[in-house]
Amino acid sequence: MVRNRTVLLVFRIILGALFVYAGVVKTLDPLDFAQSVRNYALVGQSLSFVAAIVLPWLEILAGAFLIAGIFKRGAALIISGLLIFFIVLTVVTMVRGLDVDCGCFGAISRKAGLGVILEDLAMLYLGFCLLFSPPNRPGSRANKP
Amino acid sequence: MNEARRVARQALVLGTLALVIAALAHLPLIKRFVRGEFRESFFQASEYPGVRLITLEEAEDLWRTGTAIFFDARQSALYDAGHVPGARSVPVPPSRPVIPAEVMEIARDRTLVVYCEGGNCQVSLALAHRLTGEGFRDVRVFSGGWEAWTAAGLPEEKTERKGTEEKGRGQE
Repeated sequence: MVRNRTVLLVFRIILGALFVYAGVVKTLDPLDFAQSVRNYALVGQSLSFVAAIVLPWLEILAGAFLIAGIFKRGAALIISGLLIFFIVLTVVTMVRGLDVDCGCFGAISRKAGLGVILEDLAMLYLGFCLLFSPPNRPGSRANKP
Repeated sequence: MNEARRVARQALVLGTLALVIAALAHLPLIKRFVRGEFRESFFQASEYPGVRLITLEEAEDLWRTGTAIFFDARQSALYDAGHVPGARSVPVPPSRPVIPAEVMEIARDRTLVVYCEGGNCQVSLALAHRLTGEGFRDVRVFSGGWEAWTAAGLPEEKTERKGTEEKGRGQE
């Protein structure tokens, strides 16, 4: 696991920015995203709607807090949890043989498949590095050279 | 252990905050959903000026008279297993339908009927949306879809594929 604070800062900015972007494009057209959720054919109309309303804001807040360094491990926990959920969802979708758009980045989304899983795994690595990094507290051993 | 609790608490705060902000930011949309809009699909009728939904009877009439071209928006395997006789397969990912070149050559004033599995399926509407976007002026969505067609005992056609070779046979 990466422990260098500068590298962790870069990870925070990259992962945070990706999540803020992904969240913002979804809030611009919530109905389109709701349709994307519905297309996975896992939950009904109402749950798809609720997910489409709440999930983008969760992504935006987690990403923004991660960049700002506030509640950063809590934000990393949410992001890692979401990524694990997305990976499982994509695998299930592939196993079921569904041909759906991933709905992950608005207009630049692509088919839910192996490429999406690999991207999510890469982001999950960043998320885990941040989640399991030593706490940054005054006097903690991690802050000493 | 304390650290794990602290992280979980932070995540909970963020989750609650997201819930509150989402509710406030999308209040008008939530009100519309509660009123009963978007129960069938998340598309808004106003976004589809050229699309209209048709019943099984209308679809059957258009098929029997041969006045419309039928499009099956389901995936190829489902199309091969059974489809409306004469229907063309346009298997498209639900959110980003790509219109095949041969479809683009059809006159824009022809009547097109699009269907998918039926029930809650959305791909026919997505395809219809793309077709109207390409300039087709009379696009109709047979919302009952394949389920309604077969339930009514109407003729079916199957397709056998061998490599790229394709063969259709009527089963009327």
